[in-house]
Amino acid sequence: MSQIQERGSTHVYKVNKISKEEMDSMVARCVYEQPPFCSAACPLKLDTRAMLKAAAEGDFKKALQLYEKIAPFPLILSAGCEAPCEAKCRLGEVGESVAIRAVERAVARFGEQSRLGGIFRSKKRKTAAILGADLFTLLLAGELEKKAYPVTVFCEQEGYEDYLRACAPFLDEESFALELKRLREKDIQLECNCRLDEAFYADKQSAFDLLCASDAVRAKLFPEAEPVAELMFCEQERLVSGKTEGVLGAAFGAKKAALTVDRLAQNLDPRNTRGSEGAVESRLYTALGEAKALRRVPLPEGGYDAEGAAAEAGRCIQCHCEECLKSCAYLKHYKKHPGLLAKEIYNNTQIIMGDHPLNKPMNACSLCGQCTVVCPNDFDMAQVCAAARRNMVSTDKMPLAPHEFALMDMLFSNGEAFLCRSQPGYTQCKYLFFPGCQAAAIAPETVKAAYLDLCERLEGGVALLLGCCGAIGDWAGREELSGQTRELIDRELAKLGDPLVIAGCPTCKKELQGHEGLRLTGIWDVLRQIGLPEGAKGLDRPMALHDACGARGNAETQQAIRDLAQSLGCTLVETEDSGDRSPCCGYGGLTAYASREVAGEMTEKCLERSEAPYLSYCMACRDRFARQGRESRHILELCYGTDAGSPPDISEKRRNRLRLKNELLQDIWQEEAMEKKLDYSLAFTDEARRMMDERMILIEDVIAVLEDFRVSGEAIEDEDGLLVARRRVGNATFWVKFSRAGEGYLVQRAWSHRMHVVKREG
Amino acid sequence: MAIEKNYYTIDPEGKLHCVKCGVPLIKGKAKFMYLDNGFPVELPVCPVCGFVYVPEELALGKVASVERALEDK
Repeated sequence: MSQIQERGSTHVYKVNKISKEEMDSMVARCVYEQPPFCSAACPLKLDTRAMLKAAAEGDFKKALQLYEKIAPFPLILSAGCEAPCEAKCRLGEVGESVAIRAVERAVARFGEQSRLGGIFRSKKRKTAAILGADLFTLLLAGELEKKAYPVTVFCEQEGYEDYLRACAPFLDEESFALELKRLREKDIQLECNCRLDEAFYADKQSAFDLLCASDAVRAKLFPEAEPVAELMFCEQERLVSGKTEGVLGAAFGAKKAALTVDRLAQNLDPRNTRGSEGAVESRLYTALGEAKALRRVPLPEGGYDAEGAAAEAGRCIQCHCEECLKSCAYLKHYKKHPGLLAKEIYNNTQIIMGDHPLNKPMNACSLCGQCTVVCPNDFDMAQVCAAARRNMVSTDKMPLAPHEFALMDMLFSNGEAFLCRSQPGYTQCKYLFFPGCQAAAIAPETVKAAYLDLCERLEGGVALLLGCCGAIGDWAGREELSGQTRELIDRELAKLGDPLVIAGCPTCKKELQGHEGLRLTGIWDVLRQIGLPEGAKGLDRPMALHDACGARGNAETQQAIRDLAQSLGCTLVETEDSGDRSPCCGYGGLTAYASREVAGEMTEKCLERSEAPYLSYCMACRDRFARQGRESRHILELCYGTDAGSPPDISEKRRNRLRLKNELLQDIWQEEAMEKKLDYSLAFTDEARRMMDERMILIEDVIAVLEDFRVSGEAIEDEDGLLVARRRVGNATFWVKFSRAGEGYLVQRAWSHRMHVVKREG
Repeated sequence: MAIEKNYYTIDPEGKLHCVKCGVPLIKGKAKFMYLDNGFPVELPVCPVCGFVYVPEELALGKVASVERALEDK
């Protein structure tokens, strides 16, 4: 097979369902959206992290807005809250927790009060009466006022001051004065000097839609009633009330009661649809290594002043889990944490009709597995993206364009450039060298030298297989193609008596591990065992070792490479994120084909770790680093004293594979190579070669166009006298602009498009 | 008669010639087709052999962006 069928239509209205469980099992591993521990511990769900951030920045107005969301009377709450947040603050594990309550108090004192509670706000139609004076009913009045219920409080006290004193007797004078002012400003009717007896209650029952009472009033009116604590509700009496303990307990009780009022106001069962209430456990991961200020800012007797509160709030390390974002250029590019990105990618596969906006991000992941290593919960973005790609291929919704060139390259490697031979003199071999398609494309001389060396120093015969391991098909989500490759390789190995495969590339090794019964080793292990060939030598200057993502999780391979480097006399520079944490060069997962931009950022991320020349053991890494202008060597180049030089373009990569095959056929197996020769000259301007590489146009594509022109004579001539011919090759139409040059052609420009174009009648 | 829609028009203005037929290309009716979608256009066409010319700017500009949009459908 030399072509891949383009999908027939955009009008495919089916999807392969991904179950919610399957999606959740992966998405939920990402803890980015988990609440910080302080907020999780707060039954009122204060966004403590954001409040502390605002306070640290000196923005007390914003901080107070956040605090007022959970505290209608902020000085009351901050005066008496038991502060479970402080007990859960992660700083407490390495030093002193943030003095959150003291910061809250400063925020309440120095923050500008929000003006939301104005009397001109549109009100709800259902009215609420609150009987009694205790902390619970005061806070409930505040909660209901916030929810825009017309609220009337009936109490036995004589006025605002008496009432507030009865509700919050623990307030100091300054706080009392401030909260009294706040109470007066709130849109709460206060009816004083009431006798809260049965007759009074009966009267209010007919006048108000919703009735609430302090626990003391409830006990007087309905001594037998048993309030449900989770709802703060006496069901039989339809009275919102309940017992609470402490300031935080009263605040939480008021929150629950306000929600019950909401449900009752809508004539709904107060038990249902309440959402999550109260404190929760958080699974957030926090890197405590970044904590610096471990001691609290000393707390003066009267509380922090604004400066002190800002300094204390500034100690908060703003617990966030961004471990993967720190390391992965792909996640950083899309500026999304993997849980969210995964959810969007899963959803992308489930779109029946219309645009699939996440196709590019889905195809831009290098499937390298770094995120799984750095994530404290083993989040696996590769699994998500690979599954999504397979899913979309299975429904014929996957665009071929991003992966077609790579897939065609794979077919070329396993077609025209494929070679599998036993060592001369052997029909069956003990070993088979599998250098990998990239090694043959980028460093053919090195492959040849390695093969000759293995033939010479290993006993029992060494076969050679030049081809692709199938990783490209897997990465593209095309299981059919990778399956065909698997069959091809297994068939060839069987013919050779199932030799031990010596992989030259860690990704090939990983891919070949999927073959049943296939025995496998790496050339690095073999060289470590039999010793380096004569003349092997490292560079005379320090090199930065880049671990290949194909060797992630394979400590033995990583160590073997280090041992080899040492034997070569290399001085290795330690880099950040090495070993299993190593980033991808941008080739993996076909990123370089799906998004050059992301691939470029990945390469940059690799190279920013050191200024030294890079030593790698995957030819794709070697190539991408060299393309970025960095001195870059594959360890086999040092072992065999070869230098692959500057990186080849896409056409040279193919030609290198063919040349290697033909040269080996001639030199080792004495077979005449079938090399096609052109019977005319063909030259390119530098500009043409540059644009061909950028536009993924091969010399072979240009030749196809010119061959067609030579037969059909079809071309146009532009006003500069240049000729333009075209030909449909596979799924694209290639255009070549050229001039005649003696017996041949000089190619000036080339472009392509995937659309068919035809003449229309009429 | 309904006015026929054209998504794109290029008039060669006599600047392009068909090498095979030796005649100037004219503004003619053509159609782009991709993934079961069709777009009527007017492009330089040879009035004799029907060769339809897609200039580089068009291929890399409008055509490429429509291709990308359709590929993600």
